[in-house]
Amino acid sequence: MLLPRFEYHEPTTLEEALKLLSELGGNAKVLAGGTDLLVRMKQKIDRPAHVISLARIPGLKEVTPRNGHGISVGAGASAAALSRHELLWDRFTPLASASSRLGSPLIRNRATIGGNLVNARPAADMPPACMVLNATVKLKSRSDERDVPVAEFFRGPGETVIEPNELMVSVNMETPPPWTGGAYFKLAARKSLEISLVNVAALITLKSSNGAIVDAKIALSAVAPTPVRAYAAEQVLIGNKPSDKLFQKAGETGVGMCSPITDHRGTMEYRCMMIEVLTKRCLSMALESARSWKPLK
Amino acid sequence: MKRIIQLTVNGELAEVAVDPNRTLLQVLREDLGLTGTKHGCGLGDCGACTVILDGQPVNSCLVLAVQANGSDVLTIEGLAENGKLHPLQQAFVEKGAIQCGFCSPGMILSAKALLDQNPKPTEKDIRMALSGNLCRCTGYQKIVEAVQAAANGEYMQGGDS
Repeated sequence: MLLPRFEYHEPTTLEEALKLLSELGGNAKVLAGGTDLLVRMKQKIDRPAHVISLARIPGLKEVTPRNGHGISVGAGASAAALSRHELLWDRFTPLASASSRLGSPLIRNRATIGGNLVNARPAADMPPACMVLNATVKLKSRSDERDVPVAEFFRGPGETVIEPNELMVSVNMETPPPWTGGAYFKLAARKSLEISLVNVAALITLKSSNGAIVDAKIALSAVAPTPVRAYAAEQVLIGNKPSDKLFQKAGETGVGMCSPITDHRGTMEYRCMMIEVLTKRCLSMALESARSWKPLK
Repeated sequence: MKRIIQLTVNGELAEVAVDPNRTLLQVLREDLGLTGTKHGCGLGDCGACTVILDGQPVNSCLVLAVQANGSDVLTIEGLAENGKLHPLQQAFVEKGAIQCGFCSPGMILSAKALLDQNPKPTEKDIRMALSGNLCRCTGYQKIVEAVQAAANGEYMQGGDS
């Protein structure tokens, strides 16, 4: 498959990239890992006149812990890098886990977190993980800068609040409190190169190792036009002692917040059943991780 | 407008003038004549075009040649030394891991990238590392066995086992 022609830009500083975006805006596409954009261009879904590569801009791939209070993930960090990051596995487990399930090993070496969010595919792996971690994305334009919660970032399939002159530079998360654990569950027919049937991310904070749930977050993708935070299901959990029965109730509530489609991968009914089961299972995994919480060495 | 890019391909410096819409795969096959790297789906689904780019296996059909400027590229042609097959290649031959052969270059390069990072992989590690490379002939079992055999040192470079 051949790529259509385009003009290629390779800025070496962020300022230069933002200047190009402000001038070319709607006629340009930003190239990070290329695992979505180049596919869409080969299929002639996207035909940008200009392509702006981020490859030569320093600093966009860095993952920077902020004194134990949080972490700043460069939008250009690859899924492979995130899936190998020890601190992410320890404290931001859903994101590390989602990164390890994206695409295939070959795709993960190129695909970036920024690309996975900006492309806004309904079944993407990283959005629900970012949502339960209360992540915000930093969007920069030539003249402005804003932080948008990932929970408010998506507007529809392939659509986000990012403006044509804006670039996502980082994804930022606060470190969850002690006795927090998280998990990510991806349901698909195969382990690699798959478009998910249901993805669930969960984060649970306990009062103590055997205490009640003081905070809970659940997000799902592949079950609606955009990833969904299951707020009502979270409310079922908060303030209660964790149990299978409680998690079951949360799963049942979660189904009501989704609007899955029927396609060749699975029916709406099947997806609804799986939302219930997998929410429960993901919560159990998060609970186990919360109970084994340990201070960092 | 064409751009001049420099690549180190299998240890040798190559300078090529490329249009920005040409992929690394096209430049390797069409400009440098390295047709060991295969063009399969062209969309990153099959892994036939796998090359090792700066130490990491990637789908070369989803990398623009201009993006690879200044990079180090290893293709299947760069594995043999002095006319002797790489242990992985020898293992693939002897274990019957090659049938039609179309997936083999990519499969072997994904396996090499795995063994470079993890010289003693479990079967699960191998299956995971090769999960971006599709094979429609072998059913994968013999491929996994070949990688295990190579990891166990059953084949030295040159293949006299």
